[in-house]
Amino acid sequence: MKKNILALLSLCVAIVLSLSACGTAEETTSEGNSSNEGEEQKTLRVVTNATYAPMEYLDKGEVVGFDVDLIKAVAEEAGYELTIEHIGWDPIFVETESKRADLAMAAITINDERKQTFDFSVPYFQSTNKILVPNDSEIESAEDLKGKIVAVQNGTTGQAAMDALVGKNHKDVKKFEDNNLAIMEMESGGAAAVVADNAVVEEYAKNNPNKNLKVIEDTSFDSEFYGILFPKGSELVEEFNTALNTLFDNGKYTEIYKKWFGIEPNIEFLKEQQQ
Amino acid sequence: MIQIQNLKKSFGDNEVLKDINLNIAPQEVVVVIGPSGSGKSTLLRCINLLESITDGHIHIEGKDITDKKNNINKMRQEVGMVFQHFNLFPHKTVIENLMMAPTKVRKVSPEVARNKGLELLKKVGLEEKANAYPSSLSGGQKQRVAIARALAMEPKIMLFDEPTSALDPEVVGEVLEVMKQLAKEGMTMVVVTHEMGFAREVGDRVIFMDGGYVVEANVPKELFENPQHERTQAFLSKIL
Amino acid sequence: MDFRFDIIAEYAPFLLKGTLLTIGLSIAGILIGTVLGLLIGLGKMMKNKLLAFPFTLYITFFRGTPLFVQILLVHFGVVPLFLGETNAIYAAIIALSLNSAAYIAEIFRAGIESIDKGQMEAARSLGMTHVQAMWNVILPQAFKRMIPPLGNEFIVLIKESSLAAVITAPEIMYWGRAMAGQYYKVWEPYLTAALIYLVLTISLSFLLNRLERRLKTE
Repeated sequence: MKKNILALLSLCVAIVLSLSACGTAEETTSEGNSSNEGEEQKTLRVVTNATYAPMEYLDKGEVVGFDVDLIKAVAEEAGYELTIEHIGWDPIFVETESKRADLAMAAITINDERKQTFDFSVPYFQSTNKILVPNDSEIESAEDLKGKIVAVQNGTTGQAAMDALVGKNHKDVKKFEDNNLAIMEMESGGAAAVVADNAVVEEYAKNNPNKNLKVIEDTSFDSEFYGILFPKGSELVEEFNTALNTLFDNGKYTEIYKKWFGIEPNIEFLKEQQQ
Repeated sequence: MIQIQNLKKSFGDNEVLKDINLNIAPQEVVVVIGPSGSGKSTLLRCINLLESITDGHIHIEGKDITDKKNNINKMRQEVGMVFQHFNLFPHKTVIENLMMAPTKVRKVSPEVARNKGLELLKKVGLEEKANAYPSSLSGGQKQRVAIARALAMEPKIMLFDEPTSALDPEVVGEVLEVMKQLAKEGMTMVVVTHEMGFAREVGDRVIFMDGGYVVEANVPKELFENPQHERTQAFLSKIL
Repeated sequence: MDFRFDIIAEYAPFLLKGTLLTIGLSIAGILIGTVLGLLIGLGKMMKNKLLAFPFTLYITFFRGTPLFVQILLVHFGVVPLFLGETNAIYAAIIALSLNSAAYIAEIFRAGIESIDKGQMEAARSLGMTHVQAMWNVILPQAFKRMIPPLGNEFIVLIKESSLAAVITAPEIMYWGRAMAGQYYKVWEPYLTAALIYLVLTISLSFLLNRLERRLKTE
C-alpha cells in the first residue's frame, strides 16, 4: 500500500516536472525571438481570448476563427511560424506588454488608450457594437437601454459604449468575463440586453435561431477597427502591415472573410483608415 | 421491584452476559462484585437500557422494559444512574446540573427545581458549591453531585457503576457515606463496586459474577465468610 | 513601472461598497451554512444508513466539486428556475451557504463525536430523549470546540466569495476586475483587492482568537 502511494506520488511529480519543463522551453523560444534578430524562421507566440466566436473560439480544444485564419495567412506572408495560445482577455495585455507574447490577435479594438501602451497594425476589420435582445423586447435603440440591466464583457468596447451611454461603473451594467456568460445572463432573465461586437452577436443570433433573439443596430455606437496588438516598439509591426496589405490586394483576405462571414468585405474602407 | 429473566447480552460474537436471573426486592441493596470482564457493569447498564438486550426480559415494577411499546425515557426517569467517571455536564454549574433533567423532562418549574436541588446538595454536603462549575470540584465532590443529580429526578431505584473506582482513596469515604445514608432511607440500590467493606456493611445481598454468569448470591456475611463456589473463594482470597 | 494611485482612488468608493458586500455575503454564508450544516451533520450521523445516505451524498457533492462550478450552476440554473431571472447576490449567498454547509456539517460531526460518550449516557439515564440530550448537553459543549474550525470556515468564505465576481455580484473582486479591464493594469487592482481581503481575514482571526480565549477561561 505504502509503495503504491509512493509510486503514485513520484508519477505526479514527474508529470508536473515535465509539464513545467514544456512551459519553460516555450518561453525561452519566444524570448529569443524578441531579443535577437536571427535569419532563420522564427516561431512567434500569439495570444488570444478564444471565447469570441466567430472571431476566435475553441473548437474541440483548438483555437479557430476568422482572426486565426487571418493571422496565419499574414504570418505566412511575412515568413513566420506561429503558436496560438488561448489565455483569456485580460492576460493578453499583460503578456503582450511584458513581451512574453510577440503579438495578440483577439478582435482588439484600436483606441488611443491602448495606443499609449501598445503598438497596433493597420486596421484589419471593421466592427460596430450592436444590441442583442429577445425577439419580444421593446428595446429598439441604444436610448432604450437606459434604465435597463445590460450585460457586457468586462473591458470591451461594448462596455465602453454602455459607459458612454449611462456613465462609468453604472450599477445597471453587469460586466462578465466573456460574452457567452453575458448572453447566458440575458437568456436567464438577469439582463434585458447584451451589447457586444456585431460579429459576436450576429453569429450568436444566427447559430441559435430557436432562442428568438434579434440584433439591433444603433448608429450612435461608433464604428471600431480591430488591429493586431504588439508590444510597444515591436519590430514586427512594419512587416505585418506590409503582409496584411498584400493579403488585401491579392484576394486572400477576401477569401478568408467570405469563409467566415459569407459576404464581401469592404477592403477599400479599411484601407482608407490607414491614412 | 426488578425481575431479570434469562438475560443475555452479546457484543458481536462476544457473549458478555450468558443467562442472568435475578430478582431485586423493594428497598433492597444489592452489591455486585466480581473480576473485571465478568459482566457486572454490563448487567447494570442493561437494567437502564444503556445497552440493548440481546435476549431475555427485564421487568421493573412489573413493566417489561424490553417491550418497545413501553416508553424507555419514562422508565429511565424512575431509575437513577451514577457513573464511574461522574459524567457531570461541564458547561453547567452544579445547581444547573441538578435542575436540567427535572425542568426539561419532568417540566418542573425552575424555582421548584432549584429549591429541590439545593436541598439535595445540602444532603450531600455541597450546598456552598451550587454555583461552582464541575471542573473546580474534587473527585469526591463531583461524585456526590452526580448522586444528587440522579436523585433530583426522584428515582425509585439507584444504580451505581463502580462509583468510587476513579477516586483518590482519601475521598472514597465521603461518597460511600452518602450511599449508606441513601440505603438507610430505604432506596432500592444496585451497586457494582470493589469496596468490600461497603458490601459487608450496607449490602442486603452480595452477588458474585464471573464469566457472564451469577456464580453465587448470598447475604454478605455468608458469602464473604463461607463462599460455596470455588471461583468465589479464589476471587475473595485475592482481594481480602 | 508606474503605480497609479489615482485609479485606486477613483475606484475606492466601488471597492468600499464591494467590501461591504463581501462581508455581507460571507456572514450570510456562514450563518445559513451553520444552520444547514447542523441539520446535515446530524442527518449524516443517523444510525439508519438509508436515511443518512442523502446527507452523505450532499456532503460528497459539495466538498467534491469546485465552488466555482457550484456558483455558475446556482446562478444560471437554480435561481432562474425559481425566480425566472438571475440574481447575482442571491446566487452568491445560496452557493456559498450550500457549499459551507457541507464543510460545517463535517465540523459539527467531528465536534459532536469529540464529546465523551458518557455525557450522552448521563443525559439519557436522567430520562432525557436523544434530542433533548443533544440540544442541552452535547451541542453546547460541541459548539465551543467548533468555534476555531467554524472561524476558519468563515475566513475561507471571505476569500472564496471572490468567485462571485464571475456572476457579477459587485463584491471586491468584481470591482477589481472592472478596474483591471478599464486600465489594463494588474498591480493596482489586484494588490488593492488582496490588501482588502488581508485586512478582513486578519481582523477576523484576531476577533476569533479573543473569543476562543474568552471561552477557554470560562
